[in-house]
Amino acid sequence: MEYNGGAIIAMKGKGCVAIAADRRFGIQALTLGTDFQKVFSATDKIYFGLAGLATDVQTLLSNRIPSPTPPFEFTSSRPIQSFFLKTKADICSEKFRMKVDMYHLREEREISPKTFAHMVSSTLYEKRFGGYFVFPTVAGLDANNEPYICNMDGIGCITTPNDFVVSGTAENQLYGMCESLWEPNLEPEDLFETISQALLNGVDRDAISGWGGIVHVITPEGVITRTLKGRMD
Amino acid sequence: MLDFLDNPATLAGANRDPDGDMHAADFDPVGMAPTEFAHPTFSVPAIADPVAFLKHQTGVDAKNRIKIQHGTTTLAFKFNHGVIVAVDSRATGGSYIASQTVKKVIEINPYLLGTMAGGAADCSYWERELGRRCRIYELNNKERISVAAASKLLANMVYAYKGMGLSMGTMVTGWDKTGPQLYYVDSDGQRLKSDLFSVGSGSTYAYGVLDAGYKPDLTPEEAIDLGRRAIVHATFRDAYSGGYVSVYHVKENGWEFISRTDVNDLIYQYQAEEKPSLV
Amino acid sequence: MAATATTLPKGGFNFDLCARNEMLANKGVKLPKTTKTGTTIVGCLYKDGLVLGADTRATSGPIVADKNCEKIHYLAPNMYCCGAGTAADTEFTTNLIASKLELHSLATGRQARVTTAMTMLKQMLFRYQGNIGAALVLGGFDVNGPHLYTIYPHGSTDKLPFVTMGSGSLAAMSVFESRWKNGLDREQAVELVKDAIEAGIFNDLGSGSNVDVCVITKDNVEYLRNYRKPNERQPKLQSYKFERGTTTALTSDFRKFVDVVEGDAMDMS
Repeated sequence: MEYNGGAIIAMKGKGCVAIAADRRFGIQALTLGTDFQKVFSATDKIYFGLAGLATDVQTLLSNRIPSPTPPFEFTSSRPIQSFFLKTKADICSEKFRMKVDMYHLREEREISPKTFAHMVSSTLYEKRFGGYFVFPTVAGLDANNEPYICNMDGIGCITTPNDFVVSGTAENQLYGMCESLWEPNLEPEDLFETISQALLNGVDRDAISGWGGIVHVITPEGVITRTLKGRMD
Repeated sequence: MLDFLDNPATLAGANRDPDGDMHAADFDPVGMAPTEFAHPTFSVPAIADPVAFLKHQTGVDAKNRIKIQHGTTTLAFKFNHGVIVAVDSRATGGSYIASQTVKKVIEINPYLLGTMAGGAADCSYWERELGRRCRIYELNNKERISVAAASKLLANMVYAYKGMGLSMGTMVTGWDKTGPQLYYVDSDGQRLKSDLFSVGSGSTYAYGVLDAGYKPDLTPEEAIDLGRRAIVHATFRDAYSGGYVSVYHVKENGWEFISRTDVNDLIYQYQAEEKPSLV
Repeated sequence: MAATATTLPKGGFNFDLCARNEMLANKGVKLPKTTKTGTTIVGCLYKDGLVLGADTRATSGPIVADKNCEKIHYLAPNMYCCGAGTAADTEFTTNLIASKLELHSLATGRQARVTTAMTMLKQMLFRYQGNIGAALVLGGFDVNGPHLYTIYPHGSTDKLPFVTMGSGSLAAMSVFESRWKNGLDREQAVELVKDAIEAGIFNDLGSGSNVDVCVITKDNVEYLRNYRKPNERQPKLQSYKFERGTTTALTSDFRKFVDVVEGDAMDMS
């Protein structure tokens, strides 16, 4: 985990969930990029983050291409074109995307966050004695829009607290931030502030995480995605 | 261990303290040094080969190695109007950022500056000791010590402890009779003289910026900006450098503190600037 | 399995990455730490059946990874199993055996016996030579009455009237040794198990938070999740809520969900 660095948080709010990650891509001390994607969407209402070894993150990731035509409407502070170009460029080899799509085809329904988490978990445990170096975090709303968050260790042990989960090299700092800042029943906009401040201030005490952040707040109405201004050292 | 703190007499050249421990001064390579220049007497293991004995603590792959802050970017360069010294301010223990407000320029005296890279305690202790010696030299000789002599004092002191775990990479700079001077001294005993140095984990990035913009006939303003930019760009790329950039300018009448700026503000400021075309 | 394959793996462990990970370890990449349940788990027989108990702390190194996890796992309608050790191993091992027991009882047309579950578990753990770090307390009620076993990661088992496992096992055992006797009633047994778990929670740093209890009798299972909560956190008296607009966002997008009514959209002309 110390090879690439990184930090991910997920939090529950009132009828919503949020997931946040830093944006650094580095190899040990050397920072190579500041727009690395560590959070991906499995379905419209399920996002998941992978902290850990970057090569494994890209092996496992799942990313749906947001369709430029309905059923979605976009409002963006950026030119809409850049949004699509960026997201398309992020499609790589992806184990989870295949599994999510297979589920979709076989079951003819969307996967639920809990089922998705168990799918991730089994994928990791399959390699119990020689695994991927990733620590997944899942955040989503189920069919009844009930919030769900969880995270896992490298071999798929799920923890499902009812407040927040953290992972990455800044884990200790993030635990401290979240234990103090989180409170129950935060509205989406308040949850955004809480998770953003927890992330930004947490990674400021970790040398190999940071260089900006990204937050997704998943609500029954839609997903708010914001990139954060963070310290660049 | 630091028994000289309780009993200052041991500092002044006594090779053995009352309980008979051996000290590094016993290995004084210079031999009969004047009392005030005797090496400070740290207790070292009273055996034939203390260096080998200490390997389990000082070796690179030692399991219980004493953790020392390592990440840093420091630089200094000579130009026509003196010497510019610029440093970052981050201290790390592993990937944990222990401090963002470390003072890595050591003001040895009004005419001498030292920089800090490697072990913070080693640098501040030995450069404080260097300051004491420089003052005694002044009192004995009625003139200031040259930078060459001062840096050699430091190099000789740390050389006496070679292999015992000291970690420092420092630049000693100042203005003496012969003009602006710049030396690099490290805990391996190396001592170099040059126009331009950068030390620490971010030094390669700093060298990149420095080499691109350096020439001897920079104006003081240009030189200060160059030093500051080199540090700022290094803190962006190097995870173990960051915090604030401090700049000093060494002039004929001693050094002057120029500025201390949050590197984050400068990174965003430089990003907003128009970049010169590459062709 | 190649990433391009369209079939899903059939199951079983996969060792493809072992060589790569060894290479990474030699290069100095640190192996990831796993979630452990530095646990107190217990079980004891009583007059009409048996009681299982567990604390609810999961740890990752010195960090409490989960303050209220579930360590009493379902095996079969008449059987439950407490797990200590590597959390993922206890979770997946009990899940696997639960599934096998279900198939077994469907095939045989009768309820599985506890000794069957115990044998399946020990044979699996022995096969993996202790590399699956699951230390279990298995309890159930079958045609032969109540049974209580401990199963160690290497595959050895004990059958005893009262058992403890995990890092808090000594603290819990001291309670059992001083107070367990033959013929306890339900209330006494649950109280004893609660006290044994609390001994672990308060005296063992690897155990903590709440007490889970499971009472298994001839035809009934009572799962008392969070039977006691001796470590409830005081609510905060003041709030750290940030004013909206505190955080500087560089970009902001909103991806609105839209309902698509199916059935009339397609033009077939």
